[in-house]
Amino acid sequence: MINRRSFLKAGGLSVVSLGSMAGGPAFLTRAAFAAPEPAGGRRKVLVSIFQRGAMDGLMAVPPLEEERLLRKYRPRLSMPGARSGGDERAIDLGNGFGLHPGFGSLRPLWSDGRLAIVHQVGSPDPTRSHFDAQDYMESGTPGRKGTATGWLNRVSGLLGHEASPFRSVAMTPALPRAFYGDHPAVALERLEDFQVRLPGALGASSVVGQGFEALYAEASQDLLRDTGGDTFDAVKLLAELDLDTYQPVLGAQYPRSPLGESLRQVAQLVKADVGLELAFTETGGWDTHVQQGTTNGTFSRRVEDLSRSISAFWTDLGQHRSNVVVTTMTEFGRTVRENGAAGTDHGHGSCLFVLGDEVAGGRVHGSFESLDEDALYQGRDLPVTTDFRSVFAQLAHTHLGVGDTDSIFPGWQGRPTKSLFRRT
Amino acid sequence: MTNTKFLPGVVTMLFTCMAVAAAFAESFPYEAAGLTERRAAAHLLDRFAYGPRPGDIDQVVEMGLEAWLAAQLSGAVDDSSFEKLAAGLDSRSMKLEEMLETFPPPAQVFREAQRAGVISRDSGLPGKGGDNDAERREVRRSLMGYFQEKGYRPQRELIAQMTAHKVFQAVVSEHQLEAVLTDFWFNHFNVSLTDNQSRPFVAAYERDAIAPGVLGSFHDMLVETAAHPAMLTYLDNFQSTANEGVRTTLEAGAPFGPPRGRRRARMRADRPQRARPQGLNENYARELLELHTLGVDGGYSQEDVVEVARAFSGWGVVPFGPQAADAQRQIARVRSVGADLGFVVRESFIFRADVHDAETKTVLGHDLEAGRGIDDGLEVLDILASHPSTAAHVARKLAVRFVSDEPPQGVIDRLAATYLESGGQIAELIRTLAYSPEFWAQDARGQKIKSPFELAVSAVRALGASVVDPADLIDWVSRMGQPLYTYQAPTGYPDRALSWVNTGSLLTRMNFGLGLATGRVMGVELDLAALNDDREPESLSEALEVYAGLLLPERELTSTLEQLYPVIHDPKIGECVAEAAPEEGSAPPRARGRYGQLRPPEDFPMLAGRRRREALRELASSTPPSPLANVVGVILGSPEFQRR
Repeated sequence: MINRRSFLKAGGLSVVSLGSMAGGPAFLTRAAFAAPEPAGGRRKVLVSIFQRGAMDGLMAVPPLEEERLLRKYRPRLSMPGARSGGDERAIDLGNGFGLHPGFGSLRPLWSDGRLAIVHQVGSPDPTRSHFDAQDYMESGTPGRKGTATGWLNRVSGLLGHEASPFRSVAMTPALPRAFYGDHPAVALERLEDFQVRLPGALGASSVVGQGFEALYAEASQDLLRDTGGDTFDAVKLLAELDLDTYQPVLGAQYPRSPLGESLRQVAQLVKADVGLELAFTETGGWDTHVQQGTTNGTFSRRVEDLSRSISAFWTDLGQHRSNVVVTTMTEFGRTVRENGAAGTDHGHGSCLFVLGDEVAGGRVHGSFESLDEDALYQGRDLPVTTDFRSVFAQLAHTHLGVGDTDSIFPGWQGRPTKSLFRRT
Repeated sequence: MTNTKFLPGVVTMLFTCMAVAAAFAESFPYEAAGLTERRAAAHLLDRFAYGPRPGDIDQVVEMGLEAWLAAQLSGAVDDSSFEKLAAGLDSRSMKLEEMLETFPPPAQVFREAQRAGVISRDSGLPGKGGDNDAERREVRRSLMGYFQEKGYRPQRELIAQMTAHKVFQAVVSEHQLEAVLTDFWFNHFNVSLTDNQSRPFVAAYERDAIAPGVLGSFHDMLVETAAHPAMLTYLDNFQSTANEGVRTTLEAGAPFGPPRGRRRARMRADRPQRARPQGLNENYARELLELHTLGVDGGYSQEDVVEVARAFSGWGVVPFGPQAADAQRQIARVRSVGADLGFVVRESFIFRADVHDAETKTVLGHDLEAGRGIDDGLEVLDILASHPSTAAHVARKLAVRFVSDEPPQGVIDRLAATYLESGGQIAELIRTLAYSPEFWAQDARGQKIKSPFELAVSAVRALGASVVDPADLIDWVSRMGQPLYTYQAPTGYPDRALSWVNTGSLLTRMNFGLGLATGRVMGVELDLAALNDDREPESLSEALEVYAGLLLPERELTSTLEQLYPVIHDPKIGECVAEAAPEEGSAPPRARGRYGQLRPPEDFPMLAGRRRREALRELASSTPPSPLANVVGVILGSPEFQRR
C-alpha cells in the first residue's frame, strides 16, 4: 500500500495529459513517460493462461515415435503420424514429437524458436480432482490446502519496485486463487467496467467520478484515501485508451471467444503501459471424457481457440513482445488409454507451452518417459517428470527477476527448469 | 448412533442463554469512551447487526442497549416477517437426503440420462467445450425433459435458495446477531461451492452444522463441522483411511471397499475416476489444527497432524446418487449382524470402522488407547476445544471481526479468559465483547471497512428498501470481491480492510451505491421520498444534509458534507440529468422472480452472469435517475458509508 500513489503521480498522471496532446499512436508517447522502471530494464509481463478441465497433453503433443503404442492405447484417439499423407495428421516437429494440427497458428513461433513445450509436467500430488489440483497449482503448494496466498500474489510481493494498480490483473469474473493474498490484484471481465457509471446519464458520470475522487482524497482513513486515489488515477489511464475503438495491429485476428476477448484486453493493457506485470486468464472445456475427437471435434476446437488466441495476441503485441512471456498451465493430464466413450479420463502428467522472445523455443523440455506400460504413472497415466513449480520458478526468475524461490514456493526443494530460457 | 456426546449440545445452549439474559444489569462502558447512548446504539447495530434501518436506533435506545443485546443472545425476538420470507425457500425444510435427491449434481443427472437413453452416449455436458450450438441446445432440451420427468430440480436452484436465504436473513431478520455470527462462523469453518464434491452439501452445512450453534458452544460446532459431508469432502477426510497394514477397528469385512471387478470397470468407462483410498489424508487434520482450533503458532507439530489424521481416518460420507441403494444395502447388512460393529451412521455421515486406524495415538501429549473407533476423533475434538491456544485463536478472530483489524491485546486476553472459564460458550464471548472498553473506544468505532456483503446489506437496510429478488444484489456482491460461498481456500475470506479495498473493488462499490440509489439493482425496491416521510427537500444541499443524516445516523458528518456539496452542485450533473429527462409514465425496472423457478439445468454461471449484466447495461441507459437518487448514490458510495 505504501507509496503506491507516488508511482502514478510520477508516471500515470503525466501520461494522461501528454497522451492527449501527442499525435500518432498514444502508446508510443506513453512509453517515453512510463512508470519508474524496475532495476535493469523495462517492466516485464507474465501472462498466465489456465486451461481448466485438464488438457490431454498426449494429444496436444504426441510422441510420434511411439505411434504404435499410441494406436494400441487409443485406437479412436490417435492421429496418423506425420509420415502418412493428408491434412489429418499431427504436425511433425522434427524431434520425435508432433503437434496437434489445431496448433497450426503457433507453428511459426515454434519454428522461430520462441515457443517451447515442457512435457510430462504436473504436480507431485496424486489427486485427480479438478478442484484440488487447480487449487494446488494456483496456491503453488501441492498437498497443502491451507496456504492462504496464491503463487502469483507472492511473486507480486517480491517484484521489488513500485506497483501500479494494474500490476496484477485477472480477466475473470472472480479473483483466481493464484492472486489470493495481501498484494492488490484486480479481477475484471472487461475493461469498460472500469469507470464510474451514473446510470441513465452517462454524460454526467465523469462529473460524479471527479466528485468521488475529491471525496476519497479527503477520506480520514489512509487506506480508503490511498486506494481511492489509485482508483481514479487508474480510471483516467484507462479512459485514455479509447477502449471502444481499439484496433489490433499487424492484422492480428482474435477469435471471438472468451479467451480471445480476454487476451485482446490484456494486449491493450500491455501496450498502454499502465504497469501490468502479472496477467491471468482462463479457458474451459478441456475435460474431454466423451467424444474427444482427434483432428476434428471437441478437443480440436479447444486447441484451435487456444492457439489462435495466443498467436493473435502475440502478433498484436508488436514491439512489446520482448517484454512479454506467455505460459499455459493445466491441472493434470488425462489417461493414456481412451475410455468407453471415446474420451479420456483424469490422469496425471500433461504438457504446457511457454512463449517469449528469450525463451529457448523450438524444443521440448523436460524428460519424456516412454509410453511402455511399466513407465506409466500407476499403470495408466503420463508420469510427471517436471514439477510445475520448476517451470514457474524459472519464469519468475529469468523473466521477472524474482529469484527467491523459497518464498514463492515454500517447502519446495526442487530446481527451476534452467533450460527454458536462452539466458538465465 | 451409540455416542451420546455426538449430539448437539442443545441443553447447555439453553442454559447459557438464560444465564446471559439475567446478567445484563450493568450498562455497557460507552460513556467512558465519550459516547452518547444514541451513538452507542448506532455502533452496536454496526457491529452486532448489519447496520441500522430507519428507526432502529430509536428502538434500541428505548429498549435499552443491554436489553437489546440480551434479547439477541437469547433469541427472544419476533422474527415472523423473515420466517415468512424464508418459508418460500422450500429447500430449507428438506433433510439432506431429500436435498440430494431433489437437486442432484448436473453430472450425475447427465450420466443417468445417458443410461436411460434420453441423450446419446456421445454427448458432452452442455457448457463443457460445447462449440456446437445446435447440438448443445438439443442436449439441453432432452435434459430438461428428463429433469421434469424425474422431478429433479437444478442444483443451482438449491444454491440460489441458500444465497437468497443469506440475503433475506441479513436484511430482514430481527435476529441480526445470529445472521452476523452465521457469516462469521461459516467463514471460520469455510467450505466452498467451487469444490464439486462439496457443493451438494454446502447449503445443508450452513443450515445444520453452523447456524444452530452460533450462540452455543464452540465445541459443539466443531463436532458438527467435523462430521459434516461438506467439510469431509472439502478437506478430503472422506478419502482418509488407515495406512496399509494398520489394524482397523473392524478387521474383517469391508462393506464399503473400493468397487471391484465388473463394477469397477463400468465406473471407469462411465465417468471420472475418483482417487481410490490411498491411506491417510492429512488435509483436514492440518486445517483443523491450524485454522479451526489452535492457530498456526498454537504449539503443535507435524507429528500431531499425522496423529490427528489417524484419529479421523474412516470419518466419511454415505454415497448418494446412483450408489445410494448399494450403500444403504451394505449399511443394512452391517446392522443385521446385530451390533453396529463400530460403524456410526447419521444422515449422510458415516464412521467406517473398516478403515479406521485403531492403533494407539498420541495427540498433543494425550494418549489415545488402541482398539477404539469414532471416539478417537471425538476425543481429539474435546482436547482441541479445551486447549488454551484455541481460546486465544478464537478470541483473536472475534476481536478482529468486532473490534478492529489490529485489536488491542487486552481485549483478546479477556476474551480468551472468558472462553476458558465458560467452556467456549459463544454467547459469553459476545457478552464480554460488549463489556470491553476496547469495543467502544474511539479507535475502534468506524474503523472496520465493510465487506462487500456488509456494504450491500447495510445499504439496503439504511434505505428501508426491500429485496424482492436477491439475484442481482448477490451479483454486485460478487463483483465487489466477495462471491458468496465460493472462497476457495479453507482460511475463509481475510477479515481485513486491506483485502476488501483495492482499486477494482472500490470503484465497483461506488458504482453499486449509484446503481442502488437510482433503482438499477434489480429486485430491490426502494422509495427514497418515503424515507423522509415524503417531504421533498427544498434544495440539493438540503437533500444532501437530510439524507446523509438518515443513511449515516449518529456519525460525525461535517467533513463528508463539505466534500459532497461541490459534487452535487456541479452544474453538469443537472444538465445531463435534464437532457435525459424521464418520459411520463416510464417505470423503473422491475424484478422478475428469479430464484425458485426452474431454469435450464446447465451449470454455466459465468455466462449467465455476463448475459444478465449486458441486459442490465441496456436498462441502465434507458431511464434517467432523479437528482435525489444521485445525491443518495453519492452518499452510499462515499468513504464514510464504507465503514462500520
